[in-house]
Amino acid sequence: MNARPFDFARGALLPIALVTLWQAWVMLAGPSRAPVPTRVALAAWDLVASNELPMALLQSVGRVFGGFAVAAALAVPLGLAMGTSARVERALDPLVESFRPIAAIAILPLAILWLGTGTAAAVAIVAYAAFFPIVINTVAGAQRVPATLLRAAATMGLGRAATLRTVVIPSALPSIGTGLRIGMGVAWTAIVAAELAVGAKAGGGGSGGVGQMMFVYYAYSIELNRIVVCMIAVGLVAFALDRLIRGALAFAMPWTAR
Amino acid sequence: MAFTEDTVVRTVRTAATRPARRAGTALSFVRTMLVFAVAWELLSTWTANPTLLPSPVAVLEALRELALDGELFRHAGVSLSRMVVSLAIAAGLAVPLGFAMGFSGSFDRIVDPTIELLRPISGIAWIPLALFLFGIGNALPVFIMTYAAFFPILLGTVAGVRGTDARLVDAARTMGVPLSTIVIRVVAPAALPSLMVALRLGIATAWTAVVAAELIGAPSGVGYAVEWYRELLMTPQVMAFIATIGFLGYLTDRAARSLSERWSPWAPKRSEA
Repeated sequence: MNARPFDFARGALLPIALVTLWQAWVMLAGPSRAPVPTRVALAAWDLVASNELPMALLQSVGRVFGGFAVAAALAVPLGLAMGTSARVERALDPLVESFRPIAAIAILPLAILWLGTGTAAAVAIVAYAAFFPIVINTVAGAQRVPATLLRAAATMGLGRAATLRTVVIPSALPSIGTGLRIGMGVAWTAIVAAELAVGAKAGGGGSGGVGQMMFVYYAYSIELNRIVVCMIAVGLVAFALDRLIRGALAFAMPWTAR
Repeated sequence: MAFTEDTVVRTVRTAATRPARRAGTALSFVRTMLVFAVAWELLSTWTANPTLLPSPVAVLEALRELALDGELFRHAGVSLSRMVVSLAIAAGLAVPLGFAMGFSGSFDRIVDPTIELLRPISGIAWIPLALFLFGIGNALPVFIMTYAAFFPILLGTVAGVRGTDARLVDAARTMGVPLSTIVIRVVAPAALPSLMVALRLGIATAWTAVVAAELIGAPSGVGYAVEWYRELLMTPQVMAFIATIGFLGYLTDRAARSLSERWSPWAPKRSEA
């Protein structure tokens, strides 16, 4: 199979055709404000050269890491407790299952009410969004520890803490990793939504970040080319974050890498 | 309280009869929610600021009023009908495309890179551009939800079609069955379970997206209602609508699950995903 360059060219065909079509359509018949690939490229250059876009992305990514860390710090211990003790699970599962279907964005109005329109509200939304995938996958991982291992540990007289450390956690790690990866994806979507909505509701003078930046380009200075640049940046960061966490997980537990 | 005891308890519970287990779950549900409500009530008495944290009684009262008034059902109906429309559009686009991509390797190699380029851009990131294209109204949330639901459905369809047992297709071909019949009678049934799982995922993504889209750019729907009452600082109503969003999210997921059980009863039973 030595067709790699050929495959690549074939894969690039459709995007190139679509972009050309887009450019042609706007030049021939589009409304004057419509975004055009050439101007999008220029806008991208402007935004990167002026450092505006990198700063906004940095702020958003920082919030995602903050919220994600909070979510992981709460969800992993809680998930381990729920997964190893039927009593804890019975007590907490109804709460988790009741709040899980509530979309993180729906909490945003409450977060604004409680924490204002700044970083705190954004981080809270991210933490809320990332919490559920992590806790559910941790519970699943901890519950799927082979019973023989647990019995072996008990036979050898291991205490609760030692069993947790040497049997349950190593065995649940791959599942926890899956939860972390899903949580990271959800967190990035949530931060963009939160910043957009805060931008929309706080009248522009809100809290920054790439979502807010997009809203300002929509509502105050109508610059659709720049909005498209932000969208592409959002996609690139989503991709990069996924790669990053996959890499980190593969590094931390090489035995799960496929 | 060692691990083994809990494990045994769990095994016994699994072996217990279904109605007994269900009653046990219901009991622990009620108990937990009671504790939660009491803690909430105490906290709200302690903060003594009904705008920040109203008591659960006030929220229930707001929920009752909104329901009697019909407002709750109006907004819920609007959001749900938007979801049905956009799911229909998303499935109408994604399923045929997914079949084509799953079937033909060369078609897949042409289309797949474009899909993978677009997929990381979340539906929510389209909101500002879509606001400009469609304005505030019905089209915006429908577009955002369609976009959000499209990718999970497409990927699930492709995976389902690819997962079809090649021997079955070969056997049908050997017997001279025409391609269209193979698609309908062999591939479609084999791909359906994966497709239904994908549909469930699509519903969940679409529901998250609709709340965001309505919150920012629609004059109706549950997402709009939450934000509307926040601006009025009517927190009990805000919480009532948040609860409604959660409840509808739960209901639509249940509906999708029972649909998939009815339509593809041959799907391998999987534990809760």
